[in-house]
Amino acid sequence: MEYFLHVLTITGIYVILTLSLNLLVGYTGLPALGHIAFACVGAYTSSLLALNYGISPWIGLPLGAVLAAFFGLLIALPSMRLKGDYLALATFGFGVIVYSISKNWVALTRGPMGLPGIPKFAVFGFELQPTWSYLLLVALFAAMTAFVIGRIVHSPFGRVLVSIREDEIASLSIGKNVNRYKLIAFMIGAFFAGIAGSLYAHYITFIDPSSFTAMESIAVLLMVVFGGMGSILGSFVGALTLVIFPELLRFLGMPSSVAAPLRQMIYGLLLVVLMLKRPQGLVGKYRFR
Amino acid sequence: MLIIYQIIGNGFAVGCAYALIALGFTLIYKTVRFFNFAHGAVYTAGAYFAYSLSNSFGINPIISFLGAAFLSVILGMAIDRLVYLPLRKNNAPLLVFLIASFGVFIFIQNLLQLMCGAQILTLRTGPVREGYHILSAIITPIQFMIIAAAFTTFALLWCLTTRTKTGKAIIAVADDLYGASICGINPERVILFAFGIGSALAGMAGVLISLETNIEPTMGMNAILKGIVASIIGGVGSIPGALIGGLLLGIVENLGIWKIQAGWKDTIAFVVLILFLLLRPQGILGSRPRGDRL
Repeated sequence: MEYFLHVLTITGIYVILTLSLNLLVGYTGLPALGHIAFACVGAYTSSLLALNYGISPWIGLPLGAVLAAFFGLLIALPSMRLKGDYLALATFGFGVIVYSISKNWVALTRGPMGLPGIPKFAVFGFELQPTWSYLLLVALFAAMTAFVIGRIVHSPFGRVLVSIREDEIASLSIGKNVNRYKLIAFMIGAFFAGIAGSLYAHYITFIDPSSFTAMESIAVLLMVVFGGMGSILGSFVGALTLVIFPELLRFLGMPSSVAAPLRQMIYGLLLVVLMLKRPQGLVGKYRFR
Repeated sequence: MLIIYQIIGNGFAVGCAYALIALGFTLIYKTVRFFNFAHGAVYTAGAYFAYSLSNSFGINPIISFLGAAFLSVILGMAIDRLVYLPLRKNNAPLLVFLIASFGVFIFIQNLLQLMCGAQILTLRTGPVREGYHILSAIITPIQFMIIAAAFTTFALLWCLTTRTKTGKAIIAVADDLYGASICGINPERVILFAFGIGSALAGMAGVLISLETNIEPTMGMNAILKGIVASIIGGVGSIPGALIGGLLLGIVENLGIWKIQAGWKDTIAFVVLILFLLLRPQGILGSRPRGDRL
């Protein structure tokens, strides 16, 4: 039971990541491949604040998210001139840079040794100890993220984002400052990814750079694509399926030297088959031209 | 004894290794116009092919080397036929190609890990010998082979694309796929040809570099990233650009880790990439990128 709750909590964190990446990839059509970097920033910010200055995660989490949004701005500013695979590569490179900073700036992040003993969230002085309370917290945040991003994409602002995905020149021609919209989309996406990272850090109570590798960004992208680009429901479906399904493989009793690559192989195969047969994802309706 | 010579010498050899990957990548990019990440998986597979041919089947190193290149060609062509050709028929957008190539990459890398294990393997052909001394820098025989291979490949590709009919067909397809097919060029054959040659180069690069270092399933990611960075620095789609970009990247990285820790090597590469994307997105030799698709 405890294990089941744990898997659901992790799923909730991935739902937040997937939703925030969906805003960029699915709704705005920006191929961002460094999304986990923002989670890394959020996680390290609130953990370091808590460990070094004793700041409560309730304050650390929004601070981490704001710093992540700032990093979103940092990567978005130079990326405004890039499109297509150039943008994909620049964001990917940004992800690698953030990863190697977290690994090599030992004085700040303790590098590969990681940060142990991160405090958990506390309510009225009581630490949230049992797993179900954490699941509740993560579910609240996931619901909030889904609500906010759902509102954003159905607002006039979101319609401009979709119009950028459909035809950037057309949106320019009706007087929309496309770059400003992209910047804001990047910052919002990074903000929520920062929240996810911080939730993860205070739940597991230990972080190290290996949680924030480039492969992790790809995994989140896969969840977006799997569920359906440009679909809120799709993000839930994508994250749920792709977190829970590999956990089921665990019960087949394979040694981890077989299970780990097998899981990745299935990921890769799924991506290819999906791109061939159903590029709009499992529940997505939008067909990319 | 000036250490700077040794650093530049090492950077030059590493740069040639990057250039080898970048050259194959560029040839494929010229015809299909997307970043084929699966190239990195073909590179890894090449090293594993050579390892299993020479160590498991006990075949002569030189023959197993050629065999590895041949198997890489088949692998590259199969990827194109099975994955990219149907996507081209669907008129898939760039993002779909990109994700699919990532999928192929992940699949092959983990298939290799499943079959050969995650441990590090070594591909040695003989005893380690002392290198040659050039300007107080020591260059190992394998580094020499890598440098020679990079320059030979460059020369051959340069002749192929500028002097032969096939090369002209590649340029025509690179320029305008439909226009080329109107002129009686079968673009699918040209693309398949580019995948074949490009994958042979990737496999060769994998073997050569694993002679110098080691073989592990995850080596492809770093290789393809450096290859792409090198080709962007040099100018995407430009054959001389791939060589120059690779050399520049290798030397800058090695100069960088002279002063700061070696762990920052990848950071240096990507900072160089982002600087180039900002200041000169077309690269050293390229024309302006055609970023108008997505």
